[in-house]
This record gives sequence, structure tokens and C-alpha cells, in this order.
Amino acid sequence: MKYFSIISLCLFVIAGSALSFSFNQKNAPPTPIAFSVPQGWPQPVYDFKQNPVTKEGFELGRKLFYDGRLSKDGNFACASCHQQFAAFATYDHNVSHGFNNSFTRRNAPGLFNLAWQKEFMWDGGINHLDLQPLAPITDTTEMAENIDSVLNKLRADDDYKKMFRAAFGDETINTKRLTKALSQFLVMMVSANSKYDRVMRGEDSFNLPERLGYAIFQKKCASCHTPPLFTDLSYRNTGLPVDKYLDDFGRMRITRNPADSLKFKVPSLRNALLTFPYGHDGRFYSLLDVLEHYRKGVVNGPTTDSLVKNKIPLSNFEIGQLRAFIYALTDSSFIKDPRFAPPGYENRTPQAPKEHEHQYKY
Amino acid sequence: MKTIKQVQTIILTGICFLFSLQASSQLVKNTTGGNQLKLVFENKVGGAKLVLGNGYTNPFGETYTIKKFRYYITQIQLLDSSDMSVQFFPNDYFLVDAGDSASATITVPLSVQHITSISFLLGVDSTANVSGVQDGALDPANGMFWTWNTGYIMAKFEGISAVAKVPGNAFSFDVGGFKKGENAARKIEMLTKTSKNKVINTIVINVDVNKWFNGVHSINIAGHPLCHEPGALAIQFADNYATMFSIQQMK
Repeated sequence: MKYFSIISLCLFVIAGSALSFSFNQKNAPPTPIAFSVPQGWPQPVYDFKQNPVTKEGFELGRKLFYDGRLSKDGNFACASCHQQFAAFATYDHNVSHGFNNSFTRRNAPGLFNLAWQKEFMWDGGINHLDLQPLAPITDTTEMAENIDSVLNKLRADDDYKKMFRAAFGDETINTKRLTKALSQFLVMMVSANSKYDRVMRGEDSFNLPERLGYAIFQKKCASCHTPPLFTDLSYRNTGLPVDKYLDDFGRMRITRNPADSLKFKVPSLRNALLTFPYGHDGRFYSLLDVLEHYRKGVVNGPTTDSLVKNKIPLSNFEIGQLRAFIYALTDSSFIKDPRFAPPGYENRTPQAPKEHEHQYKY
Repeated sequence: MKTIKQVQTIILTGICFLFSLQASSQLVKNTTGGNQLKLVFENKVGGAKLVLGNGYTNPFGETYTIKKFRYYITQIQLLDSSDMSVQFFPNDYFLVDAGDSASATITVPLSVQHITSISFLLGVDSTANVSGVQDGALDPANGMFWTWNTGYIMAKFEGISAVAKVPGNAFSFDVGGFKKGENAARKIEMLTKTSKNKVINTIVINVDVNKWFNGVHSINIAGHPLCHEPGALAIQFADNYATMFSIQQMK
């Protein structure tokens, strides 16, 4: 009796552990990744409860971000217009190149600190980060694909089947999972380690031009380019006359309200050294061009922002100091962060260009 | 010895519990029996059956063929006014597509004894328009979604007409909008007018696409071949399509 009990107990233990083993194999839960809010920053607006970031989801999102198959001809991954060495803008391009030799209609913004944004695109037409990738995927001047055929390409790939299962529990591949995985990758792109941030944390100190530039910035720029995001995420007409070929009236297309004519989202100044050219259509090649616009070039119309309609008085000296401060917003650790590099290229991330290598067109 | 027996009992109980958990979850999945109500949407043009590719004439005498006709149905509600019992399905979304005959029949579990009225929303409620990417009928891959200016296309009616002076003579009415003042979703409510004791398992609903042209507002193809964003024209179409439903038969 005694032996029987011991043997049967052993059997049960073995059976039990075998059961739990096979259970784990099937449904191993993905590994959570913590999202940390930089010191002094507001809470993010992205709803992490609806889409908790996991290692598996993040890695799937990274693979998707760098996969050309999300475009019609296989040539245009998200990363083809959002390059890590340019803080995920398109380096040195007023607009980007898309499917079939087309140009996009607007300047590709840098991608960082997206977890703090409620609306996306220069006109704020997209109201959720998860929805954002669907616009470039389907735009005929960008990736020119339809969502269904993207999903079918992914479903035919065994690697993706495994990765979707690891991230979401089974092999189902649908739009919701595709975009949630991309969001998991995108929300983790936090850029909060520029020299400015290190100074604010007391780990570094500004040199003289940076310090003077910071004071000018606070007085003349910070009401729209508000720290810590360096944008207040509002839509403003900053006196850029409409380009007659682009015919782009910005936010009015979304709200159909004439009061929004020629308004565009205030871009972040973080990493501005890397995200040139500037403006919604990339019409300003250099920071000097932008600052020249604000002191001399603003064209007033019915919706021009009150903060710029009398232009912003800036001396040549002030422009020089401002530029020094804006360069201190470059987060060189962000553009070298191996987590955001193409899969397999983790050890080959780029270096930030030196200030003197930055090109200007006069 | 006693301890071993106790441990053994605990383990046994645990294993039984695990198995019973699995069994009960399967049970839930299989509960599809019981009373059901079928809503059958019969797409029509005037009195004629709607067939994609066939030619029809609208109330303005404009001839046209239909390429696409699709609309969302949600928030189905069944009411028994005799005891005020209500069944409501706020989170079930259906996409009725004239190109997919199976989509025209919607089945819901039925507990209301006597249906005195039925209502539903034509379109997609605003909450689903501001909650990111959905799946099932609401998957943006279904082509009923604007990616550049977030929002569902509530209903879509596209075709060819010689009077449409646009490329390919292709008119298209993609009607949507969920923001205040631009909402193109419409609540449809219909009384069933059946005798109290009659048990109803199927409601056949007539859907007359020609009402898009003159249900409330007059809109002809020649004057408005395209509607592709929320706004005044979309609202007029929405007012019109709100009148396209009528109960044809109950059985």
C-alpha cells in the first residue's frame, strides 16, 4: 500500500509537470517591457492597458518597421522614410520618395516621444497611434499597398506566424495585431537624453552660447515649442504661404473649418539638427532659413498665428546662440540605440554628424 | 503515510479541477442552441432585387449600374413593449455587403418573448471611431475606413453612370463622419406590428438603395457624383439612407 501510494504520487507529479510543460509550450506568456517616463515629464497619453508592451511584441514591431513587404513593390519599409540616423525623419530630403518614383506631399517628421501624442500627421487627421501606419501603407505616393495584401504576405511567412504567436498567443494575423505590434515598437522610441536633458538632470552644463541661446529660446520660442516635448502639439499658421503645386491647406482638410486654413502641427525641436529640411513641405533647408522666416518672411493671412504675425525680432547674434541651443537638443544616444536598429544591425548604428558637417544652402 | 495520502488527494483534486476548467470553457463555446432571431437584409433598387453589375434607374431618370453596396449595422435592439423587456447588442458589428450574400443574414440570440419593435444603428458609433484599430467586421482591411482622416465609412454605394462626369463615369458615395455636427450614423427604428402570440424567428428587411437619391433630400448623380469625406453632403446622404429600411416580412 505504502509503495503503491509513493509510486502513484510520483506518477501524478510527473503527469502534472508534463501537463504544465505542454501548457507552457503552447501559451508561454510574452515578457513585459516596462515603459519609463523621463523625470519631470507628463504621463504618456498612449493607453498601455490596451496594448501592453512585451519583448515579443516589440521585436515583431521592429521587424515590421524594417520590412519592405509592407509596401506594394517591396521597396518601401516604414524605415525607408524614417531613418534612425535622422531621428527617424528622412535625412536631407524636403519630401520623401515613395512607390513608383513618386514624391510624398509632406516632410517626414522624426519619430520619437509618440506615446505623448494624441493626434498624428502634420494636420492631426489620425486620432490614435495604432491607426497611424495604415495611412502610409495605403497612400499611393508612399507604400501604395492595401492592408489585405500586406496581411496575406505576412500570413505566408512562417517567421511571422511564430512571432505573432509569441507576441499575441496564437498565429492569427490581422490589422489590429499588426498595428499593435508596430505601436509597441514606436512607443518605446523615447528621446530624452540630449545635452539639454543632461543639463536639466544636473549631469552636464551648457557652454556660453547654449546658455544664452536657452534664454532666448525661453523668451521667443517656448510658448509653441514647449519643453519637455518641445512642441505644445497645437496647430498653427506660421505665415508660410500655400505652395500652389502642393495646394496643401493643412488642418482645414481635416476639420473643414476655414479657421484652420494653413494650420499645421507645431513640430518638436528635439533632434532638429538631424531632421532638416524643415516645415510641413520641407521648404526651409536649414535652421537659418527657418529663423530668417520668423524675423523677415512671415506672410500674414486671416489665420496667421498672433505670436508670429508681427514677426519675431531676432538679431544675427541671437540666431547664432539659438542655433547652439537647438543643437544641444540632439539625442545622440537615441540614434545609436541598438534596440531601434534594423534586426541584425544592432552593432552598426550610425554616429551623429558633427556640427561642422551639417550642410547649408544659402 | 497520512500526509502522503493528503498530498495525493490535493494533487488529484487539482488535476480534476484543471480538466473541469478546460471542459467548462469548451461548453461555453458550444452554446449556440436556443432561440435565435434572423435578420435578413434584402437589398433592392425600388422594387427590384439588387444585383451588382445590373442596370437600374434612379428617381431622376438617371441610369446606373452598381459596383459596390455595403453598410455597417450595429447596436441591434429588440423591444417587447408589453413587459418592457429589451435585448441590446451594443458591441456586435456587422458589415452587410451586396457582394457577399452570406453577410445579408445576421443572427442574434433571442430571449424577448414578443418583438414589438426593432432598432439598430446604420454605421459605426463614435466610440469605435476613436479607439484605435478594431478587428472582425471593423477591421480597416475591409476597406470601410479612412486612414488619412480617421473614421469609418458608414455606408458605401459605388457604380457607373453615364451622367457622372468623372473619370470612368464612376460615381461613388462613401459616407462617413462621426464628429459633432458631422455624424453620418443613423438610428433606424421599426415597429413590427405583429399579433402578440406569434413567435417570430426571422425578420426580412427591405433595403431600397434608390432612397439614397431622394429619401429626404434630392441628390442626383450628375450633380454630385462623388462624396468622399464627412460634411454637408454626407449628412444629406445619411438623412436619405436612414429611410431605406422597411420590414417586408416576419416569420
